[in-house]
Amino acid sequence: MALTLEEVRKIAALARLRFTPEEEAVFVGQLGKIVDYIDQLQRFGTSSEGEPVLEAREAEDTAQDCLPRGDFLANAPASLDGFLLVPGVKGDA
Amino acid sequence: MPELWELPAEEIGRRVVAREVSAVEVVDSFLARTARVEPLIHAWLELFADEARQRAAAIDRDPIGPLAGVPVALKDNLSVAGWPLTCASRILSGYVAPYTATAVRKLLDAGAVLLGRANMDEFAMGSSCESSAWQVTRNPWDLSRVPGGSSGGPAAAVAAGSAALGIGSDTGGSVRQPAALCGLVGVKPTWGRVSRHGLVAFASSTDQIGPVARTVRDAALATSVLAGPDPNDSTCSTRPVGDYLAGIEDGIEGLRVGVISNLDASAFDPASARVWKASLDRLAAAGAELVEVEVPSLDASVAVYYVVAMSEASANLARFDGVRYGRRAETADSLPDLYLDSRSQGFGPEVKRRILLGTFALSAGYHEAYYGRARGVLDRMRRELDAALEKADVVVTPTTPGAAFRLGEKVDDPLAMYLSDVFTTPASLTGLPAVAVPSGFDDQGLPLSLQILGRSFDEATVFRAARAFERQAGWVVAPTFREAVAS
Repeated sequence: MALTLEEVRKIAALARLRFTPEEEAVFVGQLGKIVDYIDQLQRFGTSSEGEPVLEAREAEDTAQDCLPRGDFLANAPASLDGFLLVPGVKGDA
Repeated sequence: MPELWELPAEEIGRRVVAREVSAVEVVDSFLARTARVEPLIHAWLELFADEARQRAAAIDRDPIGPLAGVPVALKDNLSVAGWPLTCASRILSGYVAPYTATAVRKLLDAGAVLLGRANMDEFAMGSSCESSAWQVTRNPWDLSRVPGGSSGGPAAAVAAGSAALGIGSDTGGSVRQPAALCGLVGVKPTWGRVSRHGLVAFASSTDQIGPVARTVRDAALATSVLAGPDPNDSTCSTRPVGDYLAGIEDGIEGLRVGVISNLDASAFDPASARVWKASLDRLAAAGAELVEVEVPSLDASVAVYYVVAMSEASANLARFDGVRYGRRAETADSLPDLYLDSRSQGFGPEVKRRILLGTFALSAGYHEAYYGRARGVLDRMRRELDAALEKADVVVTPTTPGAAFRLGEKVDDPLAMYLSDVFTTPASLTGLPAVAVPSGFDDQGLPLSLQILGRSFDEATVFRAARAFERQAGWVVAPTFREAVAS
């Protein structure tokens, strides 16, 4: 299926990405071509009876040291008094 | 007599432990080689020469471990405490890893010397290393061609003699494909065999860490070092790890090697078809019994992979929002704009494309048609491969449809780039172990590669088959790449 400009804009908003009109035009064409290719999945049979092969287990519920706050905040673009600093949700008052 | 940088990792470790050579001499040899080749190859994002020499001197005081003094290239998505880590992305500019990945810790415990951070496709998304935000890496066999990706930096570094081992991550072929294009051995261990603690996540249901090496023995040795349980990664298996070098020389007399009957060899270019046929002949000559197996959903693997991997990537990369780490857009004056601007300015086009596709595949109205369907086809593929691996002990395919392509050749056609993963994605999706091993050359003298897939956690058989194939092929890498770099 072809993706429309409106659909690409909607997906971009969901993905928290912003594009120029020129970028949008490129992505509409490229994404449409890729989605067309992916549509071939409809031709293949499926199964839902298989046991999951991938192993995963729950971590032990034991207390352990975590990354010290200072080490974490050393990578933060902005912090204040040990907390992350961000602009206001509706802009700085 | 070969230079120290030409020696296999296994031999370097042996000599350093036996004090026949010092780790400092080894590191100096690799650094001198790097000074010569790096201006041509551009494999490294950052070299830590002084730190490597200090580390080598410390190893010389107490040389222990199978990788004692072995210089290693790390892909730039593996954490080393105190080192920058960018995933070759602008959005992680300035980020410094606060802790060391378990896989890296295991390398250090085995005596390895980390030389630096090597280039990659941005967030491991690419098959050519061209989506790196920082630089274009070239293939040592032909400087006008790509080294493959996404672990193109570690592969190019090892192929050029700039490191003895490279450590990358393989999500859909990102270790095996660059290994193939650079004439090396590349390993994608079983999902859960190697801890991913400290690896930046791309698609969590397929990400695995694995080595690129010049020989099968080096690849097996490195995998033995990397593998094993980790309390910091609950997806990492607690199964005991074997010594993959034990029994590796036992040969493949009577081993059942599965050849996929619906694999369309007529679609290969003539050289790839010739080398593929010769590979099967070599396996038979080594004593293997070739058996036909069927994996009808093989043709769907790229489509399944891109739906699954992009969906997971869109979720995993939501954490890069300019709030907690990495690059923050200075233009934003509200929180929603901060997210939008930081992500839009920080991510490159390929990452954005994949986030968009993943968001689309998971969005209301399309989730079942795309993500749900892909999971269903994947389940079928898993059953087909499991059945094939009951009939055969290992299954073989080419690693890639052809040899290294030219820089820029596929950069404007993402779908063409994705299709180069057709043979590597099935093992990623199903979690099975797979090894890429050099198989011959095309008409331009570029390396081609055979992929060997095995049963879950049966790396030992895969390495044994790869080693028998390597021995049968009489593969010698050094002379050609030496000429390639000198030209």
